[in-house]
Amino acid sequence: MLEISQLVKRYGRHEPVLKELDLSVEGNSVVSIVGASGAGKSTLLRCINRLIEPTSGSIKLNGCELSTLRGQALRQSRRRIGMVFQGFNLIDRLTVMENVLAGRLGYVSFYQAWRRRFPQADIERAFELMERVGIAHYANKRADELSGGERQRVGVVRALMQEPDILLADEPTASLDPVTSEQIMKLMQTLASELSLPVLINIHNVAQARAYTERIVGLRHGRMIFDGPPERFDKAALEEVYGGIEAPDESVAPSVGEEQA
Amino acid sequence: MATGPARTWRKPPFIASPWLRFALTVAVLGYLGWALATLPFDWGRISEGLPRAARIFGGGFPPSFERLELLATGFKESFQIALLATLLGVLLSIPFAVMAARNISPRPVYLVGRAVIIVSRSFHPVIVAILFVKAVGFGPLAGILTLTLYSIGFVGKLLAEEIEEIDWGQVEAMRSVGAGFLATLTYAVFPQILPRQIGLSMYQLDSNLRASAVVGIVGAGGIGSTLMNAFGRYDYDFAFAILLVIIAVILISEGVSGWVRKRVW
Amino acid sequence: MVTSKEPVASRVWVRYDSRERWTRLAVLLLVTAVLVWAARDVDIFWPWVWDAPAQIHSLGERMWPPDPSRLGEIVDAMIETVHIATLATFLTVFAALPVSYISAQNTTPNRACLWLGRFILVASRSVNTIIWALLFVAIFGPGVLAGILAIMCRSIGFVGKLMGEAIEEIDRRPVEAMEATGASRPKVILYAVVPQVMPAFFAVVILRWDINIRESTVLGLVGAGGIGVILQGAIDTFAWPTVATILCAIILLVVLGEAITGVLRRRVL
Repeated sequence: MLEISQLVKRYGRHEPVLKELDLSVEGNSVVSIVGASGAGKSTLLRCINRLIEPTSGSIKLNGCELSTLRGQALRQSRRRIGMVFQGFNLIDRLTVMENVLAGRLGYVSFYQAWRRRFPQADIERAFELMERVGIAHYANKRADELSGGERQRVGVVRALMQEPDILLADEPTASLDPVTSEQIMKLMQTLASELSLPVLINIHNVAQARAYTERIVGLRHGRMIFDGPPERFDKAALEEVYGGIEAPDESVAPSVGEEQA
Repeated sequence: MATGPARTWRKPPFIASPWLRFALTVAVLGYLGWALATLPFDWGRISEGLPRAARIFGGGFPPSFERLELLATGFKESFQIALLATLLGVLLSIPFAVMAARNISPRPVYLVGRAVIIVSRSFHPVIVAILFVKAVGFGPLAGILTLTLYSIGFVGKLLAEEIEEIDWGQVEAMRSVGAGFLATLTYAVFPQILPRQIGLSMYQLDSNLRASAVVGIVGAGGIGSTLMNAFGRYDYDFAFAILLVIIAVILISEGVSGWVRKRVW
Repeated sequence: MVTSKEPVASRVWVRYDSRERWTRLAVLLLVTAVLVWAARDVDIFWPWVWDAPAQIHSLGERMWPPDPSRLGEIVDAMIETVHIATLATFLTVFAALPVSYISAQNTTPNRACLWLGRFILVASRSVNTIIWALLFVAIFGPGVLAGILAIMCRSIGFVGKLMGEAIEEIDRRPVEAMEATGASRPKVILYAVVPQVMPAFFAVVILRWDINIRESTVLGLVGAGGIGVILQGAIDTFAWPTVATILCAIILLVVLGEAITGVLRRRVL
C-alpha cells in the first residue's frame, strides 16, 4: 500500500518538476503512469526509492515513512522496492545468474556477495523465477550476450528476487521492439497477479497502458490531471495529458500471439 | 514450481581447470616466497631508516630558495637540452619512421628501421646518458645526444604506426598521376600524419623535459646535476626546493602541451 | 564549361589566407628564435661536438668484443632486477587501488579526499623513479629495499591515474540499479564498478610491469639494487667489454619482458 502526499521536487530555483502530487496505490493493482516527456514520470518513480531526493512531501509504504530515512534504514526500505529500468541496467560483464542474484545484495553480507556464496534458498528461487520467465538456460551466459527482451526479463527477475512489496518500472519497454515489449508488459501483468504485487509502470505507449493495466494516472508538467480506469481514458483525456506538448505513442504490435510470456 | 532435488550454482571461475588454478596459486605464492627470501636485505641499515628519514625531512623542510640563480641556470639548461633534443629527435625520427613503416618500405629497409627504433627504446635514458658522458664528456652535449636517441625511439615508433594506418587510397592516387617517391610522401603521406606529428612533438618535448631533469644525475647537464650536488652535500632544503620546482615545471609543461595539442588537432 | 564571369587569371588559389599566413609566420619565427637561442646559449664546447662521432666510435671499439667472464654474476643481478620490478608492481596494486578510488570524481567520498588523491597521484608521477631511488637510498641505505620503494612510489601514480580515469568512465546505470536493491556502498562497488574496470586494470598493471622492468635496470646506478650496481662498477673501472655484455643482457631482458606481456595481454584481455 503506497501513499504519496504533497510530493514536491524542485531543482535549484527552477519550476518544480513535481508539484504537490498525491497518489495512492492499493493492494495488487497494476497502475500505469502516462505523460509527455518532462512531465515528471521518472522523477516520481525515483523519489519513491530515493534515487532522487524529494524536496518535500510524504511517501509512505505500508505505513512506513520513506522520505526521512537515512543510511541503514534507507537501504532496508529499498530492499522492499523493486525497480525495472528502461536501459535494463544490467552488469554486462557478469553472468545472468549473478545479475539475478544481485537482487539479494540488500540481504547478504559483503563476504557472501564477494565469494558469490548466496543462500541455497536464494539460488532455488532464482532458478524458479528464471524458468518462469524463460531464461533459465542462460544462467551462465554473460548478460551482454542476450537480446533486449531477454535482458529486460533478467531485470524483472532481479527486481523480483528482492521479494519486494512494490514493483516500479521506468519505461521498461521503451528500448524494445513492439512484439517484445508486448511480451514484457504481459509478463509483468501476469507476475503481478501471481505474486499479489502492486506495480507502477511509467509508459509512453498508451495502447499498452490501456491493454495491460487497470488504472491510468496521467501527469502533465508535474501535476496529476487524470486518474481512472482505462475505459475512461478517452480522446479528451489523451488531449489533456499530451495536448500541445507531443503526440502520444499509440502504436499496437502486429498480432502478438498467445504464447506464454 | 520446481519440486526436484535442490539445484546448486557456483560462479564459473575465470580459469576453468581446477588444476591450473591450483598450480597458478602455488606458483605465485612460491615466487613471492622465493623472491623475498633470496633478495638481500640489510636489516641493520634499514632499521636506521626511520630516524634518518626524520632527519632528512626535518632538514629538508622548509625548502630553501637561497641559491635561486643556481636553480635557474640548471633549469635553463634543462630547457635547452629538451628543446634541441626534441628538434633533432623529431627531424631524425621521420626518415626512420618512414623506413619502419611496413606499407611503404621494402622488407630489408623495414627491418633496419625497426631495429634502430627498438634499440633506441630498450635502454633507459640514464644508461645511454652515462655512455655518452663517457664518450663526449660531461655537460649538456651528452644530454642532448641521449634525449635525441630517446626521442627517435618513441616518436619514431608511434609515427611508424601512424604511417602504417594511413588511407592507402591517397597514395594510390598520387602514384597514378605519376608522382615519384618523394612527391608521394609529401602529398599523400605527410599531410595525413602531420597533425599527429605536431601532437607527438609536443608530447615528446614534455617527456624530454622530465627526462632532462634525470639525465643530469649522471652528469649530462641540466637541473639533475644541481639536484645531485645538493644531495651529495646534504643540502636537503635546497634539494627539496629543486624538487618542488621540478614538479611545478612538469605540471605547467603538461598543461601547456595539452593546450597546444588541443588547439592544433 | 566554365560558367563564372570572372577572367581565369584573376581567380587565385592559395593554401592559406593572409591572416593565417601571418600567424604561421609568427609562430615559425618564434619557434626558430627559441631554438637558435637554445643552440647558441647552451653550454657546449663546439669542438667537442665535431669530435663526438669519433669519440662514440672509439667507445664502441673499446666495448667490442663483449666479455662473458662475469656472466654468472650478471645473471644473478638480472634475476634480482626482475624480483624488484615484480614485487614492486605487486605491492603497488594494493596502494594504487584505494588512491584511484578516492581520486575518481564519481566514487570519492568527499572533496578533501578527491584533492588528497589527486595530490598523491601528481607527486608520484612528477618525481622520476631515479629521484625516488636517491631519496630512499639516503634513508634506508643502498640495497633492494630502496629500489622496491622507488618503483612503488612511481608506479602508484601511473596505475592510480589510469584506474581513476577508468572508474570515471564507467556506465552509471548498473550503479543505479545496485543502489535500488538496497545494497550498501561496498557491495555496490563490488558488483557495479569492479566488473567494469577489470579489463583496464589488467592492461594497466601488465603495462606498468613492463615499464618497471626497464626502470629497475637503472636503479643500481644510484645504489638501489639490481643489474645497475654491476653496470656502474664496470663503467667506473672502464671494463668496457663487460659493459657491453651487460647491455646485451639488458636488451634480452627487455625483449623477453615484451614477449611475456604480449602473451599475457592476449590471454587475459
